[in-house]
Formats: sequence, C-alpha cells, structure tokens
Amino acid sequence: MSFVNRIRFYRQVWIIGRAGLRWQRWRAQTYAKSAVHRQSQYLAPPLDITPKTKELIARHYLEGRWANLARKVAWVTSGAPVEMLKALDFYVLYPENHGALCGTARAVVDISSEAESAGYSRDICSYARTDIGTMLSGKTPVGRLPRPDLLLACTNICQTVLFWYRILAHHFQVPLVIIDTPFVYSKAERHTIGYVEKQLEDAIPILEKIAGKSLSLKRLKKVMEMSKKATQLWAEVIGKATHQPSPISVFDQFIHMAPIVEMRGDPFTIDFYATMLDEVDRRIANGIGAVLDEKKRLLWDNLPVWPKLRSLAEKLGEHGLALVASTYTSAWGDLGPLMNPDKPLESTALTYLHPILNQGTGHKLETMTHMIEKFHLDGAILHSDRSCKPYSIGQMDQKERLIRTYGIPALLLEADHDDPRSFSDEHVSHQLNAFIEMLED
Amino acid sequence: MQDSLSIPSRTEIIAQHRQSGKQVAAILPYHSPRPVFTCFDILPVEVWGPPRVDSSHGSAHLQPYICSLVRNALSFLLTGGLDEADFIIAPHGCDSLQGLGSILMDLIPSHQKVLPFYIPRGDQENAADFLAAEIQSLYDSIKDITGQTPDLETILKSIAQHQDADQLIAQLHKSRQNIPLTQLEFYRLLRSREYLPPSAFSELAEKALALDTNKSRNKGIPILLSGIVPEPMAVLEGLSQLGALVVADDLACCGRRIYPPITHDNVFMAMAKSILSAPPDSTRGSSVEARTQHLLDLTKTSGAMGVIFLEIKFCEPELFYLPIQRQALKKAGIPSLVLEVEINDSFTHQLRTRIEAFLEMIA
Repeated sequence: MSFVNRIRFYRQVWIIGRAGLRWQRWRAQTYAKSAVHRQSQYLAPPLDITPKTKELIARHYLEGRWANLARKVAWVTSGAPVEMLKALDFYVLYPENHGALCGTARAVVDISSEAESAGYSRDICSYARTDIGTMLSGKTPVGRLPRPDLLLACTNICQTVLFWYRILAHHFQVPLVIIDTPFVYSKAERHTIGYVEKQLEDAIPILEKIAGKSLSLKRLKKVMEMSKKATQLWAEVIGKATHQPSPISVFDQFIHMAPIVEMRGDPFTIDFYATMLDEVDRRIANGIGAVLDEKKRLLWDNLPVWPKLRSLAEKLGEHGLALVASTYTSAWGDLGPLMNPDKPLESTALTYLHPILNQGTGHKLETMTHMIEKFHLDGAILHSDRSCKPYSIGQMDQKERLIRTYGIPALLLEADHDDPRSFSDEHVSHQLNAFIEMLED
Repeated sequence: MQDSLSIPSRTEIIAQHRQSGKQVAAILPYHSPRPVFTCFDILPVEVWGPPRVDSSHGSAHLQPYICSLVRNALSFLLTGGLDEADFIIAPHGCDSLQGLGSILMDLIPSHQKVLPFYIPRGDQENAADFLAAEIQSLYDSIKDITGQTPDLETILKSIAQHQDADQLIAQLHKSRQNIPLTQLEFYRLLRSREYLPPSAFSELAEKALALDTNKSRNKGIPILLSGIVPEPMAVLEGLSQLGALVVADDLACCGRRIYPPITHDNVFMAMAKSILSAPPDSTRGSSVEARTQHLLDLTKTSGAMGVIFLEIKFCEPELFYLPIQRQALKKAGIPSLVLEVEINDSFTHQLRTRIEAFLEMIA
C-alpha cells in the first residue's frame, strides 16, 4: 500500500466521494420535504434519517470500492466477531449485506444466474449464489467489491456460510479463519465456551499478520464499548415499537439495520442510532404511527423478503396492519448485554454463541411469545425462507403453538429472502388475503 | 447372496438385543462415537432416512425444501419406526439435521431421550479437545440416565471392537473388486455396520474377505460413487445391469467413515481423533481442496473412469462443493455426472437413461 495509493484512496473516498454523497443526502432531504406525490396513502413518510442511512451505506461501499488501495480487507459473515477486525483497522465487507442490497436493487436474478451457470444449484442459499455470482462475474450494483485479504466465517448463523466461505477461499486463495460456534440446543456448556474462546485466541496472530500490526487490547476494548453502545441503542430504537401506534415498523427496521450489522464498532454508528432514537421519540410525542391507521399489530419471523419490502409494506398498511416486532432485527439488539469489554475474549465467545439462529427452536418460540406480550401483538407472519433452512425449520410447529397456545392467527408465508423467482405475487397475495380476513374477524 | 454371508436385518438385530433386556440408541447421521454406546451395552443403530416410508408425516412439520433424509427420519419416528429405541442421538451434521434435533427436543415430544452431539467444523486446532469433551459429555448423560458406570477396561474393549470393525471396513473397501459379491450385496454388507454389534460385523466382514476371490465376477466400467447415501439402493443393481462397476466410493455413510485406529491415554480423545481423522467430508466442512484431492486420489488408486455424484435434493453441504470438484475432475480427464434423487425414489427410467448415456460416453 504505497503512499500514492493512500493519496488516491483519500482523494476518491474522503474528498470526492464523501462530498458527493453529502450532496446527494442534502438533495434527498430537500426533495423528501416536497415529495408529497411519492408518499403512501397508508404508511407514514419515510423516517427523516433515511437519506443518512443511504449515505452511510453508499459511503461504506464507496470506501470498499477503493479499499484495496489503502487498507486490508476482510469479508465476514453477519454474525462474525467483527470487533477484533475493526480494532486492527480492517475494512470489513459483509457479503450477506451485499446480497440484501442486490435484492433491494432487483439484481439478484442476473447476478446469481452467473453462479448457476457455473454449476451452483438454485437449491443453495440465494445470498451465497448472489455473492458467488459477483465473485465470478464482478457484477454488482455498487460498482466494485474489494478483493479480500482475509475471510472470516462464523458458523453461528448457519452452516451454509462455512461451505460458502470455503468456495470464496478457494477462489481468492486467501486465508480463511473459521470461528466454529457449536449450536446451543439448550445451554452452552463450559467446554463449548472454552472452544470458541480458544479459536478467537488462535485467530489473533493470523489477523495480526495480515493486518501488519499488533492487536491493541485498549483499542479492542474501545471498539467493543462502541459495539455494545450501538447494539443497546438499536435495541432501544426497536423497543419503541411497543408504543401504540408504533412509530416504526419492521420494514423501517429492515431498512435501517445496515449500520448495526456492518458498522457496529464505529463511532458514527452510535451517533446514527442516537439520532434515530430522537426521531422515533418525536414521532411518539406527535402520535405518528408507521402505519397511518394502525388497527392490528404483527410479528415478523425470519429474514425479510428484500425484493418485496415495499409491496409487502403497502399491502399490509392498506389494511391497517403494522409489523412492529421481528425476531430477526432484534437479534442484533440481543448481542449488547453479553458484551463485556473488560473480558474481551470470553465475552466475545459468549456473545457470538448466542444469536437467535444459534439457539434451539424452543428458544425462538419463547422469543416470539415474549414479543407477543411485550409488543401487544395480534398475529404473526412467519416467513418460510427457502434459502434459510436453520431459521425456517421448526416454523410449522411454532406456528401451531402460537395459534393453539396464544390463540393468535399466524401465517406461514412461503418466499425467499433474496430470489424473487421463489416469490409468487399471486400466491402470497392469496395467503395474505386469507390471513387478513382471519385477523379482521 | 451367498449363504455364508446372510446378513441379519436391522429389525432382527434390534429384536434380539431387546429380548436380552438391553437398550437401543437410534443414531441420526453422520458421525458418532459408537464405542460410547457399546460400552453401556446399548446397541447403536443408525437411521439414514430410511427410504420407503410415508414421508407425509414428516411433511406436516417440515417445509418442502428440507431434504428427504431428514423428512424420512422424522416420518419414521412419528410412525413408530423408532419405538424400539431408548435414545435418539442427534449428531450435528448440517442445518437440517440440527433443526431436526432441535425440534425433537423442543417441539415434537418423543418418548425417547434426545441427546444432541456437536461435531466440530473447520479443522480447528482445538477441535479434538472439544470433540473429546463432547463425547465425554455424551457419556456422562448416558451414565446419568442409565445409572451405569462402565469401567475403563470396558470402554477400552468397546473401542477395540469398533476399531477392529473399522479396520475391516477399510479392508473391504480396498479389496472390493476381489470379493465375489454383487454391488448390492457388497453395499448391504458395508452398511450392516450401521446396526450390527461390532463383533458381529467383524465376523461377517472376515467371512466376506475369506470368500474365494476366483469367483469374483466383478467386471465393468469402473466408476466412483460420491454423495451421502447410496439410496435408492436399486441404483447399485441398475449400475451392474448397465455394465458399471463401483470401484471406490466417497459416500458419507460409507467411504467417508473409514476411521483410522487411534491410541491415546484419554479414551474420549482416542474416539475424537479417530472421527476427525476420517476422509474429508462436507458435513465436517472440510476444505474444497482436501475434498477435491481426495476424490482425485480415489479415482487414481481405484482406476475409476468416471464419477457419479448421487446427491439428495436440497443437500446444501454437498451442492456447494460440486462445481469445483467437477471442474477439477474434468481437468484430470475424469468425466462426472450429477444425479439428484429423493431417498424414496425408485430407480427411474430417467436415472437409467442418464447413467446409460454417461457410461457410453466414458467406456
């Protein structure tokens, strides 16, 4: 990374890029105030912070585009213990988030077809297919992804990432660090926590070698503090949905969760969620609901259907249905309480062993039932996500339990988090209509 | 099959074991520390599906994109197929098996105690330590449930019996072309390891190895079979009829479970290291390079002219590796064919035609 390259990076990202993005945000904010014609009949206008979210995401990918000039790059899974990487100044890219971005940009079919043409089955996760498609073709709506110097896969969200990152490692011929987090069926045993902690310890010299610097404990603690603070703020933001009407919907949460996933540990993420919290509080004070005429409140289980966010929000909003709680978005809020900057490795092991996806189906059912009470829910939509087996398996019984034990209507919605080919508008519309009738009875 | 090698069925063996007042553990795929069960006098019986069950029972609990191996296992349980078992052991093999273990523990009550078991992924330096602790934890759970405490001698004896059986498995694989059994018979013999007590299996394997090699009629186009499980088993008959001979396999239930004997002061560590020393395997998350090299080595040593990947639909662990493996095989001049099946399938005309065309191409 020569001096000239650093200068180029600084010029492209910090001078030209950031100025351009700030200008775009300013325009979006100004335009939003006069864009009455774009507003929904059923939904509140987007949060004022939306242009800032877009700016952060765009800035993240802009920096990524030029990152190889000035920084070491790590590609990581969404549940990876990213704090160590941040403390070593890696630029961190999340292929899953990139997949989600491709989903919202309606680019998945084109990109994943590249992977399918190379022999990757349509039965594998659509995030993975999209990422592999980008890897093989370079196609991406963000211009260009940086080449990784390191891959870090943590199995706490699924085993899929393990196979997926094996493919990436084979292609890029770079070191792959695997943090293997045994599934917590009921309780994490002492030897399990020790196993993960030791892997974190073993990973440090590999990370340091690639970063070309030593991991400073002081810096790690600082990053962990910032991560913890950001996750706490995120938990507070989504907790505000207990208010009636709810100031934010789960769709808002899906849109504004990018910083907590890919920018936790950064100082600006704290500022971002503090600002968002203020705005949400203002909405509460002014009695503004995310759904203008909130009649019923619902739970969402599993990942979003990224290519269909807007149409689903409109469809539900039309009937006064507000999605206010989600097992998925709350997962990042759950991380905070386990993080202890004074015990960096042990608490990292504990934290990253306990995402909802690494815990049993009974725990997820408990989470849902807890949310039903906390958020005063009237029904639940369980997204049966063809691409995410670990999240989806158990839903058929969970749905039955919700209906039988809690007497609330529940729907199993067949779709996919990224691939619109696994989403039938007509079928979903029929399913939703029947569910809405049930709720209205 | 020759009289000297009549293989008792699972049902017979389970009934015999139960009649003598002993317990049975139903073990889901893929890897498990079998000596742990044997040392408690518990018969470990593996449940790979099984095929030909009414899968609608499982479909009431599992989405259509969950593989047939997991669906059939649940269906089998729900229709009483595992009623003879006292325990269900749920090793963590993949996301779907993880989910099955979890719903059996949390959502679908069964009368058997369900014990999960995690196989470490990714060749971690401390994987053996962790696995040894997992095996010990499993041992402690069974000890608590049964109230028995097998002594060290019993555990060592159990390990030795299984090591003998495993070594004979390795020999069977090596000598397969000289053993005068049909391919179907040979795989029935190999797979009887899934339920026979180790000593009974060893006896049978030794008999097979002692058969007159001059009687071997095993000739045909040499192919290598890869995948999870050779189901439908009729494929093996079909391959014979079409003139193919399976000279080696990379099947999760067979060739990927050739466990080497390991000696160690700590019995749990010995079992752990043995499992981790098995050939590369998708379900343990082995690297693409290791798996591909293993396939290439197998084709070279066995003389296989082609590879058939017999894959269960929706099996993500397998599907990820396929493109790179096939590319490497192609580069080495070895053609390959992918067949996607459900384990309840019969040997369909379509399968037959595809295999026929493949064999014509490589012959």
